[in-house]
Amino acid sequence: MAKKSVWSDNRFWQRSAAWVTGFASILLIWLTFDTSVQIAMGTDADLQNGVTKRVPGPTVINYKITYEMSTARGHEVPVIGEKELFFGRDDYSEEEAGALLHLGKLGSQTKNCMNCHTLLGNGAYYAPDLTKAWLDPAWGPEGSMQAMTGKETKEEAMAEFLQHPSTYPTHARMMPNLGITAEEAKGLVAFLKHMSSIDTNGFPRNFGKIKGAVHGK
Amino acid sequence: MIEEVAMRQDILLDDFLPLFVSSSLVLVFGGFYVGIYTAVKVNLLKKWTMPLAYIFWMLASYCLYLMGSLMHVGDFTAKALVVAAIGLLLLPHAVYYMQHHVHEENEH
Amino acid sequence: MASNHLTGIGSESKQLATWYFTFAIILFGAQLLFGLVAAIQYVMPGFLFELLDFSVARMIHINALVVWMVFAMFGSVYWLLPDETGIETVGIKIGKLLYWVFVAAIVVVVLVYLIVQVGPADEMSIWFIHEGREYIEAPRWADWGIVVVALGFVANLFMTGIKGKQTGIVTVLMADMLAFAGLYLAGMFFTDNISVDQYWWWWVIHLWVEATWEVFVGALAAYALITIIGAKRQVVEMWLWIEVAMLFGSGILGMGHHYFWIGTPEYWWEIGALFSALEPLPLVAMFIHVLYDWGKETGLQMAEGAEGHAIAGHTITNKPAFTWIVLNAFGNFLGAGIWGFFHTLPQVNLYTHGTQFTSAHGHLAFFGAYATILIGMMYLAIQGTNGIKVLKHTKSSIAGIWMIAGGVMGMGIALTIAGYVQVLVSRAQMGATWAGYFDGQSGMWFSQAMDWRLIMGVVTFLGFAFLIKDFLSTGKNPVHER
Repeated sequence: MAKKSVWSDNRFWQRSAAWVTGFASILLIWLTFDTSVQIAMGTDADLQNGVTKRVPGPTVINYKITYEMSTARGHEVPVIGEKELFFGRDDYSEEEAGALLHLGKLGSQTKNCMNCHTLLGNGAYYAPDLTKAWLDPAWGPEGSMQAMTGKETKEEAMAEFLQHPSTYPTHARMMPNLGITAEEAKGLVAFLKHMSSIDTNGFPRNFGKIKGAVHGK
Repeated sequence: MIEEVAMRQDILLDDFLPLFVSSSLVLVFGGFYVGIYTAVKVNLLKKWTMPLAYIFWMLASYCLYLMGSLMHVGDFTAKALVVAAIGLLLLPHAVYYMQHHVHEENEH
Repeated sequence: MASNHLTGIGSESKQLATWYFTFAIILFGAQLLFGLVAAIQYVMPGFLFELLDFSVARMIHINALVVWMVFAMFGSVYWLLPDETGIETVGIKIGKLLYWVFVAAIVVVVLVYLIVQVGPADEMSIWFIHEGREYIEAPRWADWGIVVVALGFVANLFMTGIKGKQTGIVTVLMADMLAFAGLYLAGMFFTDNISVDQYWWWWVIHLWVEATWEVFVGALAAYALITIIGAKRQVVEMWLWIEVAMLFGSGILGMGHHYFWIGTPEYWWEIGALFSALEPLPLVAMFIHVLYDWGKETGLQMAEGAEGHAIAGHTITNKPAFTWIVLNAFGNFLGAGIWGFFHTLPQVNLYTHGTQFTSAHGHLAFFGAYATILIGMMYLAIQGTNGIKVLKHTKSSIAGIWMIAGGVMGMGIALTIAGYVQVLVSRAQMGATWAGYFDGQSGMWFSQAMDWRLIMGVVTFLGFAFLIKDFLSTGKNPVHER
């Protein structure tokens, strides 16, 4: 029997595996604590005091949201501006806005959005990404989608589309009717507006700047 | 730590294809390097093929460099890529060194 | 002792393993079938519109995928446990009961997916229809069922490992399966905050497929190399520990590459880039491990053959299983390694995230890393239950391998081309809007890629038919050495 070298000793490798795994896990858990604080939802007070949160509170639906290039960050970030009407109001209380967002988030799951669309880039690739759908120029005042539904505002146009998707085909690939009620549609639009205000580190790049984008034509 | 310029520069439209090809080739060449090295060590290939293994490692490193420059990586990522290239170079040496020990001990 | 590897006759644990494999292969068929429906819908959008929409077909496609792999993984453990520990699995009666509970739950879940499809936006839908979270859509009641079944399985594994001989392979499996079952809990809550939702969702998805499942595959490959080509346990188990260290060392923090764009802080760019760059290394190591053992053993066999006293243990005792395992080493490196690496760095992922690139990677990686080795394990079970000494290839087994591997590879390439079009048109030029998205989808390259994906999907399905034919007939085939 030749002398045992440490490199060929299974116990050495077993211990190494345990240490490496333990170290990586502890680092992940530590980072999770830090990230959890940073992605916790903000409050109404944060919004009123102009405190920037990565994930703003639900009352962000009372404000105008834009997506602008930040020179300091080197990519686009959502910017929360002045008050803006959302279904005719800009004074949703924290409870009202929270309830709408709750309904919308539940709806996004029970209607199975993620198995056609991507949300924050995750999901299926059969339909457009919804991360910044609220900011899509197609739903804006001059947009084709708003014109198609014949509604006055972006939120009403989106809600109308969600309730009767196959009435407004935009492509041979259509969205099916998922039995979305008027109230659920309102919640879903609130959910989309809230999602567009999340700081996604510049994803998607050049969103909505078909003409102004670096590669735009 | 945060790379301030990392995301400022868009990847040029014509750079996407070379980018994807070079990053795939990193692993293809890397695989050839490790595969040839191992095959020579277990006598599946003749000894003289060993320099080919190192040529593939150089190709892999070059592709890694190409990939890094096309996607305009920042300082930190560039360092990580260099570490990965050196890690790839050392990996089969370390593995074979250990295997040699184990076999010595088991077969005598 | 050697014959112990070859027989499943009389072992209840191995009998249970064959039950698990049988239901796994049925679900594999369902996965392919609903995948075909979804692939047809890309080419003909009106197909089954508002009857069985893409969202439903795709949900069943990916759920069947996850569940058949979990079934085949449980089956693999029940199969190898008596060989490794030298005793019958402890608590096998409970194991068999839990199997039927598991099967019944899956059938109910799938029927609800198919018949109810969507529910109103309330907690009841989450509890009883589906949760609408990719890969782990199973409704909350089924989540708890899965937890109970998984705990029973882990308990059986632990009791057997402690009572019998605890080899390195069993030790790795015990730790790995405990983590595997425990991580599922991270996906069982509801939150209004979608960033928090996806943060924990990745704990389940990533830490399964890029950490615990990969380690599981390492353990299976170790067992298979010992069983099929008679590789030395001492060497194989040392490799296994090194692979565990490398896989967990890179994979756990490799999680960072999912945290680039979901609202999480920017430091995940550096962490994700660093550990993602390291993630292919263990896959390279696993690849050369198989090559190394293969070379060593066949080299040894040739040397012994020349001296005129070959040892029986050094021949390949199960050709189809060995082919699938070599395919696994290669496919893991190709699908998870290459296809994962080329879009993992944040600078590039900014453009590729959420495109068909991900889909191409998903198809190649799930197949290359997991489907292959699990099919290999099924061949080991066929060999064992039929008391075959050397299981040889048949025409069907070869046709199955070529058509399934070729079909999946073809789908992967087609989806890669589609993803490339999407990156250029929808992302780099059009900025990912609704209009930009459909511009990318309407391109000639994109739509032809989708045609090819469908064709290759059909090839895969035909290959699956050959595989089933071989599974049903090869056990009784007289060509094998008994």
